[in-house]
Amino acid sequence: MTPSVVTVTVHIPGPLRDYCAGVAELTLPGTSVRAVLEELEQRHPTLHRRVCDETGAVRRHVNLFVNTRHIRDRNGLETPLAPGDKVTILPAVSGG
Amino acid sequence: MANRVLLCIGTMKGLFVGESPKARRRFALRGPFGQGVAVYSALIDARGTPRIYASSCNAFFGMKVLRSTDLGKKFKETKSAPAFPKTDGRALANIWSLEAGDDRKQLWCGVEPAALFRSRDGGDSWDLVDGISNHAHARSWQPGNGGLCMHTILRDGPRVHLGISTGGHYLSEDGGETFQASNKGVGAGFMPDPYPEFGQCVHKIAATKHAPGRLYMQNHGGWGDWEGPGGRRPHIGVLRSDDHGHTWRSISKGLPSDFGFPVLVHPHDADTVYVMPLAPQTRTCPGGAPAVWRSENGGNSWNRLANGLPRKDSYFTVLRDAMDIDESPSPALYFGTTTGQLWIGRDGGEKWECLFDALPPIHCVKVAVV
Repeated sequence: MTPSVVTVTVHIPGPLRDYCAGVAELTLPGTSVRAVLEELEQRHPTLHRRVCDETGAVRRHVNLFVNTRHIRDRNGLETPLAPGDKVTILPAVSGG
Repeated sequence: MANRVLLCIGTMKGLFVGESPKARRRFALRGPFGQGVAVYSALIDARGTPRIYASSCNAFFGMKVLRSTDLGKKFKETKSAPAFPKTDGRALANIWSLEAGDDRKQLWCGVEPAALFRSRDGGDSWDLVDGISNHAHARSWQPGNGGLCMHTILRDGPRVHLGISTGGHYLSEDGGETFQASNKGVGAGFMPDPYPEFGQCVHKIAATKHAPGRLYMQNHGGWGDWEGPGGRRPHIGVLRSDDHGHTWRSISKGLPSDFGFPVLVHPHDADTVYVMPLAPQTRTCPGGAPAVWRSENGGNSWNRLANGLPRKDSYFTVLRDAMDIDESPSPALYFGTTTGQLWIGRDGGEKWECLFDALPPIHCVKVAVV
């Protein structure tokens, strides 16, 4: 039986932890990546702004993974989430 | 009593702060602040207890405004950075200019894509200034090589002058409520119409408090040999206005190139103006020999200032905000290069010396006597 509220773990990268009292992980409800980001915006608006720009788009150099798969390889922001899934926020690899 | 000189150096890898006694013999350097993140604009508000602001333009996680109240020993992020309304459709890509407002809590901020924000609480919250940000021309402006940026904000009583690349010069005469394109005499090299109403690639504008209505502009020059539609347009690069920016005229004759980025006015003499000509194709020092050029008669003639600068093999660029001048009785100029050198030009640029020679690429330089 599926629980009535799906909660997932969101892993926060080091440079963004100042925006959520220093914690490395947040537990948030949501049945899709979009829903989790909306919840993140409600609870931690300054952290959300670092992940998404003001149009709501995920920033170009930020990657989101559900467990080990990039959301672009699944269904983008509509990627469904199951209880216990891990959403990881990671800056893209780049240099210069 | 002002007894030291503060230097803010915004680089590709963060903000550095230099500090020196008034004699300016040697500067102690601290930083980088906002480590690893590009800083395109800085402001030293020397009124009362000095405050330093800097943009921190993180390609990964977006924009921040940093603030220091202890002469640049520590910086903290303000509570928010400028942001477009959610329904606007634009997203902040960079912060290009910070300017002090009427009182110490007021700040103005020019951003990319070109828009203007205003804070009334020292940068903790920001409002979009509709008069220019949603101007009828705004969606027609085009990005230049550096992006579609609002890089210049000059305030003069009820007048506000803005420089946009590429948008041109916009003027408000009602404190920033409404703006008009004000580009009569400002040429554009990359359009069939050499003198359009707007859309010019203005690089920087400088004002002086010693001559009402006087402004100087470094525009995108380098079109003297253009043979396409509209024909040649020499001398559109360095301009002057004497009527608060309503009309402009060329003062570029005598310069080795009318292409460049920064323009400065002497803090005590409205007729003394400085530019740094660059080769238009490469945007580097002409012939590999850097020089600042000074006019002491409002642009009628120019002199080369290069004593102490390299005589050959130097092909750096000095960007639009990377040159400043202090307000000492005998002012010094400062410029930072894209190759990471910070130069001081003592006695108004008569004698140059490299203060720091291995910083990250430099975007902006601001100086104040505090």
